[in-house]
Amino acid sequence: MHTLSKEAFEEFIDNLIADNSLNVVGVKSKGEKFAFGPLESANQLRLDYDVTLLPPKKYFFPQRETLVTFDVASGFQAKDPKESKSNVLVGVHPYDIMALLHMDEVFRETKSDPYYLERRNSSVIIGVNIQNLTEQCFAPSMGCATVDYGYDLMLTNLGEKYAIDVGSHKGADILNKYAKNAKKAFARDIQAVGKKKMEIVNMAQQKFNFSSELIPEMLGKFYEKDSFWKDHSEECLSCGSCVLVCPTCYCFDVKDNPDLSLKKGERTRTWDGCLLEDFAKVASGENFRDTKATRYRHRYFKKGKYLFDRFGFVSCVGCGRCSSNCLPDIANPVNLFNDMYAESLKSGIEIDSVPVPDISIKTGEIIEFAPKIATIVKKVPMTANEIMFELKLDNETDLGHQPGQFVQVSVFGVGEAPFGVSSSPTKKGTFELCIRKLGNVTSKIHTLNEGDKVGIRGPFGKGFDAEFLKGKDLLFVAGGLGIVPLRSLFNYVLANRKDYGRVILLYGCKEPRELLFADEILELEDRDDVEFMSTVDWCPENEVWTSNVGVITTLIPKVDFDPQKTYAVVVGPPIMYKFVIKDLKSRNVPDDHIIVSLERRMKCGVGKCGHCQINQLYVCKDGPVFYYSDIKGVPEAL
Amino acid sequence: MKPKVAFFDFAGCEGDQLQIANLEEEILDLLGQVEVVSFREVMKEHSDDYDIAFVEGSCTRIQDEERLKQIRKNASVVVAIGSCATIGGINSLKNYQNLDAVKKTVYGEKADLFDTYLARPIDAVISVDAYVHGCPMTKEEFLHVVKSLLLGKKPDIPNYPVCVECKKNENVCAFERGEFCIGPVTRAGCNSCCVNEGTKCWGCRGLVDNPNENSQKEVLIKYGLSVDEAISKFRLYFGWEKKQ
Ligand SMILES: Cc1cc2nc3c(=O)[nH]c(=O)nc-3n(C[C@H](O)[C@H](O)[C@H](O)COP(=O)(O)OP(=O)(O)OC[C@H]3O[C@@H](n4cnc5c(N)ncnc54)[C@H](O)[C@@H]3O)c2cc1C
Ligand code: SF4
Ligand code: SF4
Ligand code: SF4
Ligand code: SF4
Ligand code: SF4
Ligand code: FES
Repeated sequence: MHTLSKEAFEEFIDNLIADNSLNVVGVKSKGEKFAFGPLESANQLRLDYDVTLLPPKKYFFPQRETLVTFDVASGFQAKDPKESKSNVLVGVHPYDIMALLHMDEVFRETKSDPYYLERRNSSVIIGVNIQNLTEQCFAPSMGCATVDYGYDLMLTNLGEKYAIDVGSHKGADILNKYAKNAKKAFARDIQAVGKKKMEIVNMAQQKFNFSSELIPEMLGKFYEKDSFWKDHSEECLSCGSCVLVCPTCYCFDVKDNPDLSLKKGERTRTWDGCLLEDFAKVASGENFRDTKATRYRHRYFKKGKYLFDRFGFVSCVGCGRCSSNCLPDIANPVNLFNDMYAESLKSGIEIDSVPVPDISIKTGEIIEFAPKIATIVKKVPMTANEIMFELKLDNETDLGHQPGQFVQVSVFGVGEAPFGVSSSPTKKGTFELCIRKLGNVTSKIHTLNEGDKVGIRGPFGKGFDAEFLKGKDLLFVAGGLGIVPLRSLFNYVLANRKDYGRVILLYGCKEPRELLFADEILELEDRDDVEFMSTVDWCPENEVWTSNVGVITTLIPKVDFDPQKTYAVVVGPPIMYKFVIKDLKSRNVPDDHIIVSLERRMKCGVGKCGHCQINQLYVCKDGPVFYYSDIKGVPEAL
Repeated sequence: MKPKVAFFDFAGCEGDQLQIANLEEEILDLLGQVEVVSFREVMKEHSDDYDIAFVEGSCTRIQDEERLKQIRKNASVVVAIGSCATIGGINSLKNYQNLDAVKKTVYGEKADLFDTYLARPIDAVISVDAYVHGCPMTKEEFLHVVKSLLLGKKPDIPNYPVCVECKKNENVCAFERGEFCIGPVTRAGCNSCCVNEGTKCWGCRGLVDNPNENSQKEVLIKYGLSVDEAISKFRLYFGWEKKQ
């Protein structure tokens, strides 16, 4: 540990500011409040601040940033993650340092975010031990009032001087290069720092009435207590303030902004939040979290349970920003968890602390934000609302997908949307998508023609395990558009027909004119190695239909199968799953023999933006294909 | 072929057309994409052959309805621009007062010569394809809407409150400064410009789809307004929406 007199400290900061290769930011006053901003001089610093309006995450994951630029003539170009200047952040409180360590895990996991990580790697964090706290702060209860790592330098105010703890080589170099007259700390300085850190722990006014280790377990027992969530969220304004100001929230939205030429532009991401009404709404109008209560609950679960299960930490550092920014004052985690604890005592719910889960996090791959260019080689209208597109990547490679995986398709200037790949991987050179016209991207795609270009990212997600299914009897159940992703597996199975047991396809749609892939289906009638049945919900008088009339479940009793040998692959609209699964279960099909594919709002496709989340799972990354046995305990799934 | 564009004004201050006239350089780029056939603010000629009609101002008289219906017939896309046209705007303040009294105040003795009825947004009379909210609208959003229409997409108008933008802009909340703000129920899209300037949101962009008005009122009261004052906060811009 070192010490710097207050004058020498100011000189140190001014020397940093004078170096043009650095972008030095620090805590300054803003009205009656505080905020991180560019420093022009050390005397602007307010290291006695209580909390900043926004956390320092804005320097790593900014409110708005460009990911990709596009030009109809030359395609998509990912922005270079390299920044021209390194950031030096002066005055970061320990809880915000802890929050950055949490964010690191999120942005690193499976596929890493090049922009966030580059900024993290090139930045210098000069922390400061807390001198003042807001009324709402409960960092000590979360074990985040002090930190022993995560900083390059850590300051402690000792009256006429600062004690400076060096936390990294980078920190040592900076101190060496820019600070004059740094002295080695005396034993009494080190003791004084220790004492200050102890005092901070006792400064907070907000405390849990129980041990914070109980939070994940307690939440688990309260998920279905609808009235608890409804009562607590009644006054929610769906304003998102509680998540936007949170140092550990990372959800984002992605938008395309064309310039006035309409031929060029950029794709940007902006902060988003699960408390906003349309966060989980999809183009068909369905909103997967359509009440204040479910959105409000999701935030607490995300922080207190889902991220705990994923990473082993409760992702709240106790900064108190959510509660001080919530106008109706309902976002305070201390109040909520204390209420929950009181209620569990009252109703005799027992809560044990759970061991930290075993965590193994894959890292290494980097997210590719720039789509590859593909050309539409064939456009075949299927129904009034669905068109099949055959696409070819311009780099002449195969897509390389597994049956059941999806791609993100970009249309210049309009945006990006996910579609299941409909062709089997055995089809080489091109791949097929079948697209229903609903909103912006899909309507625009419908106007494109053979020869036109689109962008492709992916394939993404977990598909069907075609290898594992070999030798099994397969019962395919498709409802409406569900036939599209299902077809990739179905055609794969037909291409390798001898490797599989019985193949049964049950396909239903609303009315005859909505039948997809009618030609292919007609051919099935002639095959004796495929058992096929179709149904329509109803047949209008002017249309012809000779097969079954009734919902898809009316077909299930008509087939005979051995539940132990059969795997059921079920894909259809959300409401179909409940009924089909119920019928399959009543026929003794085991839960791990039922395979489904789910659909949720998507933005990133790689497990970051938060939009596709169903409880702890990300549809884009853990799915879209799931075994029923893995999701039957996931209430938001079906 | 470039789409033909026309501008029309009803009861309003023409502040929005001024915003467009003020687009300066951008307007040159914009003019490369469209052909303006009627725009009283900057040109004398007028034509009834147009594809996109931008309509400013609210409908305040029966006679306005006929004109609006004619515009709807001629245009394939109708865009409401500015609060008066999108939500009734300031004009709908008068909806809370006795109409005859309003007429007297405005027109004095000649009041009986004028017909007036509840001020309303134009979508109360004809169907509207796109909205550029704001009082006045911002040129950024106007350009966004025009670009979207030219690309054949629905403009992306937020359905979340002004607080979202306000937080991203790291403003000190008006309530913390002792002011009263209705940003929590007002549709964002202006980048919280008034709060960025140190004031508060008056609600000029209208309500979000599902505002929690009770909670907003309780917040206003908690921070010191009387119930009547809290209710009147909603009247400046939400007059028509609240009558519905
Ligand atoms: C894994 C998966 C596979 C899919 N496969 C197909 C398919 O094969 N054929 C098909 O026609 N449709 C499919 N969909 C649905 C398709 O993604 C939506 O219809 C599409 O995103 C609507 O976009 P839009 O821009 O036209 O609508 P808008 O309402 O304008 O939506 C704007 C944006 O919101 C997001 N979004 C909206 N709805 C959805 C949604 N349902 N799912 C995901 N993101 C959404 C997208 O980012 C979209 O660009 C699939 C969805 C998922 C998640
Ligand atoms: S800050 Fe409060 S009112 Fe706003 S979304 Fe969060 S909980 Fe709801
Ligand atoms: S949930 Fe609230 S207290 Fe916890 S880190 Fe986020 S803003 Fe801070
Ligand atoms: S889902 Fe989680 S990270 Fe995303 S906004 Fe909600 S609480 Fe924050
Ligand atoms: S100033 Fe208004 S818009 Fe901004 S956060 Fe406060 S209430 Fe919301
Ligand atoms: S802050 Fe409020 S009053 Fe100001 S422009 Fe935005 S919506 Fe209108
Ligand atoms: S997390 Fe972004 S789409 Fe799944």
